[in-house]
Amino acid sequence: MKLLYMGCLSRANFPEMCENAKRIVNFLDSEFEVLNKVPCCGSLLHNTSTSQDQSNYMSEVYEWFKTNNISEMVTICAGCYNYLTRYYPEQFSEFNIKIQHLIQFISEPQNLEKMNLEYTGKKLTITYHDACHLRNARKPIIEEPRHILSSIKGIKYKEMDNNREESFCCGSGGGVYSSFKENSDYNSRLILDQAKRAKLLLTACPFCYTALQRVNEQYKRSRTTVMKFEDFIVKLMEGSELEV
Amino acid sequence: MSDKNKELYDHLKGLIEKIDESDNYYNAFTDFWRIACAAQNSTINTKYKYDDSSKEFIEKYKKQLSDIRKELVNNIEYYVEKTMKSMEKNKMKVHYAKTNEEAHTIFLEELGDIETVYKSKSVEAKDIGILELLKENNITVKETDLGDVLIQLFDYKLPTYQVGPGIHFEIEKIVSKIKEVYGAELPPKAESIVQFFRDTYRKELLNDVKVSLTSANSISAEDGCIVLLENEGNISLLTRATEKHIVLVGISKIVPSVFDALLMTKMVERTNQADLAYISFIYGPSATSDIRAHSVQGMYGAKEVVIILVDDWRTNAIKEDLFYKSFLQCIGCKTCSFYCTASKAFGNVYGSKYGIGAIGILRDYIHNGIEAAVRDGLYLCTGCEKCTNWCPAEVNLAEIMRSLKKIATEKGLAPPPLEKYRQKIKQEKNPFS
Ligand code: SF4
Ligand code: SF4
Repeated sequence: MKLLYMGCLSRANFPEMCENAKRIVNFLDSEFEVLNKVPCCGSLLHNTSTSQDQSNYMSEVYEWFKTNNISEMVTICAGCYNYLTRYYPEQFSEFNIKIQHLIQFISEPQNLEKMNLEYTGKKLTITYHDACHLRNARKPIIEEPRHILSSIKGIKYKEMDNNREESFCCGSGGGVYSSFKENSDYNSRLILDQAKRAKLLLTACPFCYTALQRVNEQYKRSRTTVMKFEDFIVKLMEGSELEV
Repeated sequence: MSDKNKELYDHLKGLIEKIDESDNYYNAFTDFWRIACAAQNSTINTKYKYDDSSKEFIEKYKKQLSDIRKELVNNIEYYVEKTMKSMEKNKMKVHYAKTNEEAHTIFLEELGDIETVYKSKSVEAKDIGILELLKENNITVKETDLGDVLIQLFDYKLPTYQVGPGIHFEIEKIVSKIKEVYGAELPPKAESIVQFFRDTYRKELLNDVKVSLTSANSISAEDGCIVLLENEGNISLLTRATEKHIVLVGISKIVPSVFDALLMTKMVERTNQADLAYISFIYGPSATSDIRAHSVQGMYGAKEVVIILVDDWRTNAIKEDLFYKSFLQCIGCKTCSFYCTASKAFGNVYGSKYGIGAIGILRDYIHNGIEAAVRDGLYLCTGCEKCTNWCPAEVNLAEIMRSLKKIATEKGLAPPPLEKYRQKIKQEKNPFS
């Protein structure tokens, strides 16, 4: 079966993001399903477990995938995408579940064509933050979001100074956000400073979003709004106003 | 489980608070360091002196350099032997020290009854604990790199950036320190400070140096050459004006040929985007045959060149295939720190006495164990992989840091909030449920 894999943080903190991802994915392919009680991919364990615990946990998750006959997945979290495509095939040589991040999935030509995205509101400049997990993945996702954004009629896309391979980290990965938020206090600010020229800063990682959003509110550095990629896409699909 | 993890966590939180306060060395260093990183991050793409940018240089030579480094790691015993033979042919005196303790003994023997050692910057000397050793033996160490001279002057003990170690001291403070220590009154200008040391210390060094200590940027196995990179000329003086030049260096600095050694050295220079004035290729003691073709050692330069090749953890890391094996490929360029997310946020809170950044933390782990690494800020690392991506020698530092975190978890040293996630994932299959 085809599974829309939500990720732990999105499920816990951003139900609307999950809803929006589902709308997009099902609009493009109705066969994708959302299941309950899906185990998290365990990426946090990479920073907080022993090797043995981690490998045991991954075996449990892999068993769950097999029991549920998962053949294909779309993830909405950058971390799940990186982790599932890097470490699972390393541990299980026969691992052959097709895994895509939502951005990759949307950027496929037939999907982009079907979505035919258009923005009709007032002048809008957008920028995009490359999440480390997408940039560092075995199959990096770097050009896909740019491809999607450049296909949208009516918006202006503007890169930050540090983009693609040179993009900054928001400072919240690797479990650091839970214990040392001070990291994102500094690093997210660097990103927000560079995003100033855009009205909208999009990110495709719920961890980056959490940090960027918090720091943006706290510092009131700019008039830029931080938004999750899927939320933005759904707003375009609905033709609803963007509150920026 | 003990409360050790909590204690370490609180310790780091305390240090991090200092970054936002004012007038302390954490705050002063971090402020400076953030600016340095921003400058470094933007100039790496600019062409300032060469036809290519430093980034283009890295891209062009990364593969070649990494291959050279891997060649050493895969055949380390062969290259150590070859290096020693070539150096002996060059009339250098070569020692191989299996452990740091052996290096200590050899070093003290080589010093004899000398009471003062003039020294250039050396990561190895720190690694091996030479400074502590000399202190215990009442031997005076005189740093010669101006940054290190300042570090000594201020008796500064916190982690710092090896390439410009004293760069965060304010001019006014330097001037008043000079007045306090030397009684000299200087205008608060960089030129005056430099001139002061040129007038006083340079003369003292030239008159007084008997034994000098340096490291090496690289060593070529085929012809036993030591390559040293510098800007101030202190290394040139130290290695020429002395009676005995001692080179204390890890065996991982060896590369097959002198061309490889130059590439390794040039990569350090290019990645630091510093226009450095000198590269020395040292093939042995100074000598002359001008008196009836009779070869005599020690004309104007060093009379003796002594090499102490230190193994310590290195061969073992290869034999045991340890998780930090790729660290042997490190050329010490510090590019990883300039791009490090944790370094930018936390400056010298993130590092150890061996230096700032992940490599400083890894060194502390190698020498002092996992608790030291956690204390240095291991858990400030976000796993962003900037270090691995930028490293010109393919050291997989990000993966090494992850492995360290696993070891720390095993010892119950992970920060309490992370420990909670771990339990939740295990029990509920979701850390945030
Ligand atoms: S690990 Fe760091 S210092 Fe060592 S070679 Fe790589 S970038 Fe340079
Ligand atoms: S992975 Fe860790 S050590 Fe490497 S650059 Fe990122 S924060 Fe620094």
